[in-house]
Amino acid sequence: MIMAATSTPSSDLQTTSGVDREIEQGLDVEILRESAKKALINALNSVVGAKTLVLDPTLAGPLGLVTEVALLKHHGVDKMFWLEPGPLTSTTTNVVYLCRPLIKYVKIIADQIKGHTKGSLKHTYTLFLVPRTSTLVSRILEEEGVLGDVSISSYNLQFIPTAEDVISLEYDGAFKELWVDGDETIIYDSALALDVLQKIYGQYPRIVGKGDYASKLATLLTKPLPNQPVPVVSPTPSSAPIDSLIILDRRVDMITPLLTQLTYEGLIDEVIGIKNSHVELPMSLLNPPPAPNQGPSQASTSTAATSIIGEKTKKYHLSAVTDPLFADLRDLNFSSVGKRLSQTAHRLDEEYKARQQAKTVAQLRDFVGKLGGLQSEHQALRLHTGLSEILLPHTRTDLFNKSLEIQQNLLASYEASAQVTAIEEMVAQGADMQTIVRLICLASITMGGIKTRALDSVRREFLQAYGYHLLPLLLSLSSPPLSILLPNPLPPSTSSTVTTSKLPFSTVRKSLRLLIDDNPEALEEVENDISFVYSGYAPISVRLVQCAAQKNGVISNPVVDKATNSGGTSSADHGDVVGEGTSMDAKKLYAHPIVGWKGFEDVLGTLPGKTFDIPRSVNATTGTNPGTTLVPSPIRPHEQTSTTVVFFLGGCTYTEIAALRWVNRQHRGRKFLIATTGIISGSSLIKSIAGDGKVGQDSLRDSR
Amino acid sequence: MESVVEHPTTTWDAMPDGNVFYRRLQLYSIAGKIPNLNDYVVAGCRNGGPIALMRDPSKLVAIGRAGPASSRSQIQVYSPAGEGILLFNWDQGRIVRFGWTYDERLAVLNEEGTYRLYDLQGEYQQFSLGTEAAEMGIIDARIHENGFVALSGSLALLEVKDWGGGRPLTLANPGLSEPPHAWAVIPPDQNISRHVEVLLSVDNTIIVVDNLESADQRISRGPFIRVSPSPNGRLLALLNSNGLLWVVSTDFQRSLAEFDTQTASGGSPVSQVEWCGNDAILVTWNNLALLVGPSGDTLRYLYFGAVVAVTEVDGVRVISRDVCDLIQKVPASTLSVFRPGSTSPAAILFNAWESFTQRSPKADESIRSIRPDLAAAVNECIDAAGCEWEPYWQRKLLSAAKFGWSFLDLYNPNDFVAMGQALRVLNAVHYYEVGMPITYLQYQLASPLHLISRLTARNLHLLALRISAFLSLKADVVLKHWASMKIARSKPMAGDDKDQELCQLIVDKFGKFGNGEVNYADIARRAWEVGRGGLATKLLDHEPRASNQVPLLLTMKEDRLALLKAVDSGDTDLVYHVLLHLHKHLSLGDFFRLIEDGGQSLAPASRLLQVYAREQNKEMLRDFYYSDDRRVESAVLALEEASRMTDQTAVITSVKAAEKFFSEDKDRNFEAKMMDENARLLAVQQQLEKDAPGNAKFFGLSVSETIRACVMNGMSNRADRVKSDFKVPDKRFWHIKLRALITMRDFDALEAFARSKRSPIGYEVFVRQLVEAGHPREAAMYVVRCDAPRRVELYVLCNDWRAAGRECKERGDKNGLEQLKRRCPNSLIVRELEQLAASMK
Repeated sequence: MIMAATSTPSSDLQTTSGVDREIEQGLDVEILRESAKKALINALNSVVGAKTLVLDPTLAGPLGLVTEVALLKHHGVDKMFWLEPGPLTSTTTNVVYLCRPLIKYVKIIADQIKGHTKGSLKHTYTLFLVPRTSTLVSRILEEEGVLGDVSISSYNLQFIPTAEDVISLEYDGAFKELWVDGDETIIYDSALALDVLQKIYGQYPRIVGKGDYASKLATLLTKPLPNQPVPVVSPTPSSAPIDSLIILDRRVDMITPLLTQLTYEGLIDEVIGIKNSHVELPMSLLNPPPAPNQGPSQASTSTAATSIIGEKTKKYHLSAVTDPLFADLRDLNFSSVGKRLSQTAHRLDEEYKARQQAKTVAQLRDFVGKLGGLQSEHQALRLHTGLSEILLPHTRTDLFNKSLEIQQNLLASYEASAQVTAIEEMVAQGADMQTIVRLICLASITMGGIKTRALDSVRREFLQAYGYHLLPLLLSLSSPPLSILLPNPLPPSTSSTVTTSKLPFSTVRKSLRLLIDDNPEALEEVENDISFVYSGYAPISVRLVQCAAQKNGVISNPVVDKATNSGGTSSADHGDVVGEGTSMDAKKLYAHPIVGWKGFEDVLGTLPGKTFDIPRSVNATTGTNPGTTLVPSPIRPHEQTSTTVVFFLGGCTYTEIAALRWVNRQHRGRKFLIATTGIISGSSLIKSIAGDGKVGQDSLRDSR
Repeated sequence: MESVVEHPTTTWDAMPDGNVFYRRLQLYSIAGKIPNLNDYVVAGCRNGGPIALMRDPSKLVAIGRAGPASSRSQIQVYSPAGEGILLFNWDQGRIVRFGWTYDERLAVLNEEGTYRLYDLQGEYQQFSLGTEAAEMGIIDARIHENGFVALSGSLALLEVKDWGGGRPLTLANPGLSEPPHAWAVIPPDQNISRHVEVLLSVDNTIIVVDNLESADQRISRGPFIRVSPSPNGRLLALLNSNGLLWVVSTDFQRSLAEFDTQTASGGSPVSQVEWCGNDAILVTWNNLALLVGPSGDTLRYLYFGAVVAVTEVDGVRVISRDVCDLIQKVPASTLSVFRPGSTSPAAILFNAWESFTQRSPKADESIRSIRPDLAAAVNECIDAAGCEWEPYWQRKLLSAAKFGWSFLDLYNPNDFVAMGQALRVLNAVHYYEVGMPITYLQYQLASPLHLISRLTARNLHLLALRISAFLSLKADVVLKHWASMKIARSKPMAGDDKDQELCQLIVDKFGKFGNGEVNYADIARRAWEVGRGGLATKLLDHEPRASNQVPLLLTMKEDRLALLKAVDSGDTDLVYHVLLHLHKHLSLGDFFRLIEDGGQSLAPASRLLQVYAREQNKEMLRDFYYSDDRRVESAVLALEEASRMTDQTAVITSVKAAEKFFSEDKDRNFEAKMMDENARLLAVQQQLEKDAPGNAKFFGLSVSETIRACVMNGMSNRADRVKSDFKVPDKRFWHIKLRALITMRDFDALEAFARSKRSPIGYEVFVRQLVEAGHPREAAMYVVRCDAPRRVELYVLCNDWRAAGRECKERGDKNGLEQLKRRCPNSLIVRELEQLAASMK
């Protein structure tokens, strides 16, 4: 609806969506934030007295979404340090470590404790492991000879709400650990987190999904899991009960993250990078300039990209709650963002002008009352205008467009082998390493492997340009279970796991209707489908969700749906496709109940990875928190809104979230709750795989 | 039937003052079931628990009188109904004391400080007070429900808390020179301080000792030969050598009653001073029990032979040769209903109901008269039902309550239902074969779960299970105990079938009653402990939680199975647990073999091991890869190590090692070749660093970066060398050099480079790169070399509007010129463009 109602002023939009929300209340995910906060306070309070907190730097972001520094100070945290190699000076007796159970951290802790012992400094150490304690950690502390000095406990940080319909474990390493290292810890942790979720909101009556690791996760969920403390808050009983859990693992759809995200939020992530919902922005964008009517300083366009690094930056929390304009923009294709911004600007202008028309005192007071809102909206507008001005030059660079072109050609299987040459060209032009890897992998997946000679040539170019130390990266990409960079034909010695993990792309493209005809004029049409997020390409992952939850959306372009949902206010020129549903949102169809993969068994069969559909008797025995077991509602199922939890094992992209929100808007009676191990982009994936232990050489390379 | 059951009041006796009633309920008739208590030391368990008997070594016994069963080293346990529960031999030195714990285990302490806790099956746990206590010897002890205090040979007091075998705590030194005349302990849970308090009768006074201090109470009425604290720990009954019974508060501030026992008994020695509830004291002699009320009034109860009294919270249990009695103050509600001449609403309600059953109209009249108090009367009747021993009267009282409540508009029947349930349970356990005369009040205090565990301890599994089901309590404790007993009792026949049969039996039973909540691992551990490994494995298969299975499997040395189960559980921490355990206990070869032989099913474990080893134990990882012929992984590991090294020669060696590993795998030609290139590059870079001016860094750069660094350091011909050595394509080379030269702002060299040959990457990129780097003027020089149609735009890019205009003019593009005019930044240029346009005409 946000997409379609292009001319609707955002305030109107809010009211309509407000009504919408009233009817279709999703699950209250704030409970999770509250309970995470409480658990942290409890953990801190369990150590009596003033304490020095030593924090795992990767946890700072997630914790920032849960609490603020003031709260920590309030609970006895005297000073805070990053958990980094080197000695630790603490003025308090209590030293509290808070970290994920990684070996490297444990070693740092052991070193610091040994340092203190050597300097005969007396401290008491408490180690909180996130999300749970680990035998491994105690064993290593034992090996280091400091186990006796540390009391080990856990801080069970699980799902954190990052938007009203997105909850995330905010664990960045998930993809790499699963598909490169083969460390399946995150599957188990996810199972525990999903288990807590069902204890709060009620059992998943059905678990459907796709992918080998996804299947492992589903199996874990059907087995008894250890009891965990569950937040005692009970959700409002009226909120939508969960009707099913859809689990997709990242391997099922490797194409999506490899493509360049083209939604506003996705592009911010691609260009600037979003970490834990925060983005680093130049100070000048965040502080209001002296003269309010003067547009944001026009950063000289050609150097904008460097100015992000050059200028002093500040963290900004991208949140739809505090920034309604962002809620409006985040899921738009970037090409429509400018239009929306100028509409907002016009509207603001109109409203400011109302001042001149204000004649009576009452009218004036009215205006003054609105002023605060206007000003904050104005500030938001300025920020997002500035932000898109940073993005815009980037989208005009040669390399960006070349990369888009290669992507589109590969997706359409157009002159496939020429694309590999084009990629080599980009190497020569000095494109960054992640972009190249993404393109090579994309080529391999869509073409079913790259011809051996071409592959050797492009790999050689790659290694010569970016360094031989990236050879392990290429090996990781080409070996199971990842296998997304393969020669064609496969060498005879290849194991069968690799052969079966190949995606029959052209078949899938047809059966899942992945590619929508794309020309710039048809963009509005493209917005009739989830494919708007990649300007004409629909993510497989979201298509799969549609296979389970919106079956007609997969088969045909639901233009009629479009007309029904755009509302009467739409100025976009597609209202001519009129059905009887020109009308309001109220006529939106009810979502069909989830019946597994019915109707799409064949497609699912051609995709690599296990397919599963586990209906569960609502229950019964144990597990569910007696306080929150949901009594089967007397209301007929299709009249009650239910929630479908979609869990991405290994992370999801902002575009997938945007696409799912689009699907969400097509029907009444179903809300998606998007759960993920973390938000990823293609670059963050490649970085996480490549980043293993190359620190020394990377720093050398910075001179480039 | 009615005639058989006596009216409740027949057991009542009024104190001489006529206001307070006590009753003696005969619980069981036990004539001939237990030996003569005179010859024994007896310890009774509270809450209707059993009594333990041990031959009193200080008394002479005529041989043959008590039969062979009562030889000295035996301890016998009887239920209050006189049923023998347990008989076991003691072979551990002289017993100084025995007593009962809260969970009905018999604690037996010997003079060496060793103590055992026997359950009712004769299984025991043994603990010791430590070597010091053993040397000093233990001369006496006082055992309470949650621990005991022992008096050592050196007259120090040692406290043991709980029954977990914890280390004894030495209490404050009382400074005794000889053992006390008598002593007692007030358990921690009945003290304000929540610490154990010991009362010692020394000389004429009492010394109170806790863990911090010992205080003389400076009392001169001693010496006391009996010290007995009340069940709630507030009052103390002291008996001095002159036979004076003195009741005093435990802080010795309030004296409550005094009574001369000498006159009451004719001078024979008192055998016991026990409390009856919290308000009366029972003093016993042979043949006689004397109840001393709060005001010093007494009631006499006659018995045959020796008498043993066991204090309860709501009375005192008296066991003699023939009977087991409960003496207690008549509870208020019972008194209210049954007291002769009572006019309380409850009594009237009860009468009304009796009239009603006799179809007498008086019933209605009575009910009317108590209308305002009816609810209270109903409650009182329900309460009174709980205080009755005979089901007959319980039923009558409940019926009366029900009758009364039918006249009430609103009444919450929960109490009624609960009482009905409780009484059914109590009557079941009162049955003499069970022999547990627990009262309603005791049941309330101890909780139903406690009752069930006591039944379980007696192997009354069926009853316990039924009661669990009746009260909707979890049955897993009972089932677990049942299964352990079943396993312990079954003959360890070396038959797989037997195991299978037994396992099936247990699983069936659990499936039927357990609600899937039974922990099979505990039972399996039990089976393992009694040497039934096969059975243990079978049982363990039914355990759904791997975290329960795995530790036992490791103890059973089922390494492979443990690892498999851990992997199946998906809990990586559990996998680590097993891996680290095995790594410690197996030889490295066996350890690797175990994992490698596991194949696909153990692959996750193998990968976890690699993750761990990569961080913590590289040496092991190298061995692991080597032993498994994993060339590629070995190579990657070598590269990883290279990336962390600082010494250049070592890096090159490592890279060469990686190359060698790759070359051993025929599918890794490409990788081997790349590593060969890598090693060569590193050598070239070493040389470059030597030759380069200043401290230019080359080592570790990529090929492209090396070329760039050469250009930047003015070593252009070396850049060419690298290009040809590593077969760098022209295009890439040109891009690199172009960027390097722009960065250096060496525009002359750039010009020379551009002219050196026809650019394989065109010249547009020259223009664009220069503009991007902020050199539009230099950029404009290259526009001429670009394709003609592109030039206008490129000039605009260089901000050279005039040149753009001229270009339009040359190509005769009027339209283009118009457009330029519209886009150009200032009027000066507009004018010039207009001139150009004009000149075109």
